[in-house]
Amino acid sequence: MAEIRIKNLHKEFGVGSDKVVALEDVNLDITGHSFVSIVGPSGCGKSTLLNILTGIETPTNGTVEITSDGHVAAPGYVFQAARLLPWRTVTDNLMFVQEDRSDDTKKRCQRYLEMVQLGDKGDKFPGELSGGMQQRVGIARAFSIEPDVLFMDEPFSHLDAITARALRRELHHMWDETKKMVVFVTHDVGEAVELSNRILVFAKGGRLEDDIQIDLPFPRDPADDEVAVAKAHVLRKFEELDLLAS
Amino acid sequence: MTVTETRPTAAGGSPPPNPAQRLTALPAKIAKSPLLARVLFPVFLFLVWELSLIAVEEIWPFAVDVLPTPSEVGAFMWDEFITDTLARKNLYETFFISLRRLMSGFAIAMVLGTAMGLAMGLSRATNAFCHDWTMAILAMPALAWALFNSIIFGFDDRGPILTVILAGIPFVIVNVREGVRNTPRELFDMARSFQVPQSKVIRHVLVPSLMPFMFAAARYCFSIGWKGLVIAEVFGGQDGAGWTIKFWYDAHRAHGVVGYAAFFVIFAILFERLVFEPISRRAFRWRPQLQTEVVEEAFGEHHEHYGEEETARR
Repeated sequence: MAEIRIKNLHKEFGVGSDKVVALEDVNLDITGHSFVSIVGPSGCGKSTLLNILTGIETPTNGTVEITSDGHVAAPGYVFQAARLLPWRTVTDNLMFVQEDRSDDTKKRCQRYLEMVQLGDKGDKFPGELSGGMQQRVGIARAFSIEPDVLFMDEPFSHLDAITARALRRELHHMWDETKKMVVFVTHDVGEAVELSNRILVFAKGGRLEDDIQIDLPFPRDPADDEVAVAKAHVLRKFEELDLLAS
Repeated sequence: MTVTETRPTAAGGSPPPNPAQRLTALPAKIAKSPLLARVLFPVFLFLVWELSLIAVEEIWPFAVDVLPTPSEVGAFMWDEFITDTLARKNLYETFFISLRRLMSGFAIAMVLGTAMGLAMGLSRATNAFCHDWTMAILAMPALAWALFNSIIFGFDDRGPILTVILAGIPFVIVNVREGVRNTPRELFDMARSFQVPQSKVIRHVLVPSLMPFMFAAARYCFSIGWKGLVIAEVFGGQDGAGWTIKFWYDAHRAHGVVGYAAFFVIFAILFERLVFEPISRRAFRWRPQLQTEVVEEAFGEHHEHYGEEETARR
């Protein structure tokens, strides 16, 4: 079971008068099969938090522990753009991030490609696929290393509404099936409410403003009353924060 | 004979009905078949050549001594082709000698240029140090290198080879440097996030991302080097393609000069078609075909619904 423990996390950029606080005293525990969305206005530090969790940046103060059953957890990533190697086929893109080239590994890659409904596209190059299909390959790649935790940074923000919706459904299905922990950064509150069982709202200046549990059953229809109420609640929180900031 | 038959058409006079019908159908056909258009171009060129010579000779009869007709050039090229030549070495020996020099210079220019380009792309200091002299070599005409090298090395292989290197290397340096500067940072970040080992990153990310630049470098280096080589052989050679064209020039054989120039062009085209294009097609299989792009543009409006269709179909 994966676990993320964040204690007194503090991050600043620059020195002196140029100093900018990106994250301020964040304390947070995420455990088990959760789907956690991090939302907030731009400049609230959500990307910084993800960068620290993924090890791209180091915290100024505080600690971050990502473990799975006592050992260091293996992370997987889905980026805003698919970030595929354009000169390798879909299958080779998945194989690129694997530790070995054994038959088991190949079969596993194929299984995840089928899960994102691209089982027959393994021999295609990314340039031959649509944007939505490329992002699916990115998702399959992240799942294919069977990580303990999956980090996703606005993976659907570049896609049109309909493709994004279809992919959200697939993602939910995969999360449900694989029982992985997902940490999902987004600026789309509707998306967060549709997918997550927990939403962390960050305010400008990097404070963790609200920690909202959403215990509605899946699949969630945005038109559903309860889902709409939850979305309205988060949006209201957003507006309050916006007022505070201005 | 061909000339008189087609003259009305080419001159745009009043053609008989049958060619007129063909003429109206022709534009549509050309539009449909790029191959036909390609073939038509040289045919048209030869026609203009032959016809203009006939016109010039009407005014100035001695022109026939200086201006070769396509048929004369054709006959010369055929003789060369079957190795019936007055020159010291036949066509194949000549081009083999030149090709050997070109390849030696080309290989050295590619290796040195790639090393320099990598160093200049990776290090600001190296770039600052080398930038100006690279530009200086780039600005120097191949003719100057050819003369200079023939003075230093006399009539052996070194002069022409060095000319190829000096003519080609700045293009390799500049292209490889741009390639290094344009490496896809986001793909390196992705590889690091997935903890892909360095050797694998070099093989699957760095090298393929440099390939388009290496190809541009190779093509430039080859064609510029080839031109430099010919000039160098004119001044500092005892054999080779450049020397042979000078031989025909000295012999006052205009058809020889034109014919040999045509061999240069054929050689360069053959090399492009038989070497660069197949390698490039293999190396860049991943690039979306031109057709795909056109189709995507044509279906741009439907693109938004693509995801929906995809899911609906399942």
